[in-house]
Amino acid sequence: MSGQHRLVYDERIEDAVNRISALLSDSYFLSKRAVSLLLLQEDEDITQLVEATDRSSYEEISSIVEETKQAFDRPLSYVIGLTMHEDALNITERSVTRNRKMRRSFASVLSDLTMHPISGIIILLLVLYFGLYKFVGEFGAGTIVDFLEENIFEGYINPFLTRVFEVLIPWRWLQELFVHEYGVLTLGMRYAIAIILPIVGTFFLVFSIIEDSGYLPRLAMLVDRIFKKIGLNGRAVIPMTLGFGCGTMATIVTRTLESKREKVISTLLLALAIPCSAQLGVILAMLSVSFRALVIWMVFVALSFLLVGFLAARLYPGKKPSFYMEVPPLRIPKISNVLSKTLARMKWYLVEVIPIFLGASVIIWIGNLTGAFNLLVRALHPVMSFVGLPSESAQAFIFGFFRRDYGAAGLYDLQRAGILDIRQILVASTILTLFVPCVAQFAVMIKERGLKTALWIASFVFVFAFAAGAVLNVVLQVTGIL
Amino acid sequence: MTGSYVSVSNYPGTTVEVYRGKTRLDENVFEVIDTPGMYSLSCITDEERVTRNLLLKERPSVVLHVMDAKSIKRMLPLTLQLIEASLPVILVLNMMDEAEREGLSIEVSDLEKRLGVPVVTTIAALGKGIDELKGKVSEYVRAA
Repeated sequence: MSGQHRLVYDERIEDAVNRISALLSDSYFLSKRAVSLLLLQEDEDITQLVEATDRSSYEEISSIVEETKQAFDRPLSYVIGLTMHEDALNITERSVTRNRKMRRSFASVLSDLTMHPISGIIILLLVLYFGLYKFVGEFGAGTIVDFLEENIFEGYINPFLTRVFEVLIPWRWLQELFVHEYGVLTLGMRYAIAIILPIVGTFFLVFSIIEDSGYLPRLAMLVDRIFKKIGLNGRAVIPMTLGFGCGTMATIVTRTLESKREKVISTLLLALAIPCSAQLGVILAMLSVSFRALVIWMVFVALSFLLVGFLAARLYPGKKPSFYMEVPPLRIPKISNVLSKTLARMKWYLVEVIPIFLGASVIIWIGNLTGAFNLLVRALHPVMSFVGLPSESAQAFIFGFFRRDYGAAGLYDLQRAGILDIRQILVASTILTLFVPCVAQFAVMIKERGLKTALWIASFVFVFAFAAGAVLNVVLQVTGIL
Repeated sequence: MTGSYVSVSNYPGTTVEVYRGKTRLDENVFEVIDTPGMYSLSCITDEERVTRNLLLKERPSVVLHVMDAKSIKRMLPLTLQLIEASLPVILVLNMMDEAEREGLSIEVSDLEKRLGVPVVTTIAALGKGIDELKGKVSEYVRAA
C-alpha cells in the first residue's frame, strides 16, 4: 500500500507542530504530530499529560502554543478542524458518489412525518396510546398482573407459603419475616414477580421495538425546539426517554450530554418528572379506572417538567447548547434482536431489583417489630393530611424511598383494598411520580454529579413533590373536576 | 465479533460503558474492546474522553474505526486524525446496504489508496464482510 494520507495545515501551524514535536519525548502512544496538534488546540487532558511527562520543555511548548494562537484571529481548534473537514470532503468527493435520482422510499416519507411538528405529535400520541397505555398499562399492568396476583400468588403461592412457615416456625413475629402482611416472600417476592416484572417486561418489549425502529432520534428532532427553551437540546431526549425505562440507567447516560449545565438540568428533571417504567406501569394501571384522572396526571406532570426545566435554565445560566445528531434510517426491528434485548434488560432488572425488594422487606419487618415503622407512618401523618391522603398511604411513600416501583406497588395494593378514592389516587400517584428518586438512582446521582448537587436535587424534589400534590388536591377539590 | 452479548442500539450515544470480549483469529487470541463512540480526537464529551484515554492506555495493536457508511463525509475527519496520530487504523464502513439503498456508492480501492489504510465494507447486522474484516486484522497484525 502506498504511503499514508497526510493532512497539511496552514504554514504557521505546520511550523509550530515541527517545533513542538522536536521538544516532545517518545513516550506517547499517539504520534508527536498528533500530540502537538492537540496541544495547539489546548486540549486539557493532553496538556496535563505533557506537562507531567515533558516537564523540562513544557514551558517552551506552551510559549509556542501561545505565539501560534496570537497569529490567528480564530481559535486554533477551529482552524485545524476546518482543514480536516475540507480534506475529508476532498477525499470523499472523488471516491463517494451519490445517485440522486433514487425514488423516495416509503420509509423516508414516514421519517419526515415523524419529525414534522404536527404529524410528529400525532404519531407520538399514537405511540404513547398504543405502546404505553394499551400494551403496558392495560395488558401488562392489568391482564398479566391480575392473573399472577390473584390466581397464582393469592390463590396458590401465598397460602401455601404461609402454611409452610406457620408449621415450621412457632413464633408469629418470626413468621412475619417471611409471610403475612409484610413478609419477604408474600410481599417482597409478590411485588417483584407479580406486579413489577410483567410491567417492566412489557415496557422493555415496547421500548426495544421503538429503539430498534430508529424512532428515538426523530423524537429528539421533534422536541428539540421545546427542549431548547428549558436549556437542553434534542440530544437530551435519549436520557429522558431512557428515564421512562429506568431513571438510574438514564442518569448514567447523561454523560453523553456536552455541558455540565445540561447534565445537571437533565439529572434534576429525571429525578423529578420522569417516572420509570415500573412506576409508570403501575400508575397507568391505577389511573386506568378514570380516563380523566389519567389525562390530568399526564398534563400535571408534563407542566411540572416544563416549569422546573424552564426555571432551572433561567437560574442556571450558561451557553445555549448546539445540537448535532445523526438520524439513522427507520427500519423494521428484527424480532430476535428485540427479544434478546428485552430478555437481557429483564434479567438485569431482576438481578438488581430482587435483592433490594427483599432487603427492603427485611428492613420493614424490623421496623414493624420495633414499632419504628408505625412511628414513622404516624410522623408522616401531618404530611399526608396536608395533601389530603389517609395516613396508610405513608407506607407507600416509605417504600418509595427504597425503589420508586416498590412505592407504586404499595399504592396499587391500597387502591385494590379500596382505601383510596379516585381523587386521592390521582394525588398520590402525582406525588409519587414527582417524589424522590429511588436509592439506586440517588447513588448514581452522587456518583455522576457529586454529593452536594445530588442532595440539592433530592431536597428540592421532595419539597416540590408534596407542594405540588397539595396544590393539585386543592385545585381538584375547589373546581370539583374529580 | 466476540460472540458475547453487547447491546447495540439504533441511535448514537447509548454506549457509555466499555465492553470487552475475546476472539480467536488464526492462532492468536485477541481482546476486543468496544468503546463509546467519538466524533473527534479533540474531545468534547465525557464518553469521547473515555475512548481517547483507552487508546492512550491500552495501546491497541489495531484500531477499527467503524462508521455508518452513509455519514462517511462527516465522520472521515476522525479517520484522518487517527491516521495522523500514527494509530494502526482500519476503516470499517458499516451498514453498506442502507448506503446503497440511498444511492451512495463508495470506491473502496480508491479510498484505500487515498487514505493509505485498509478499508472494509460490512453489514454487521447480517454478518456480511466480517470474514474479510477478520482477514485484514490478521494481515495487519502480522505485518506489524
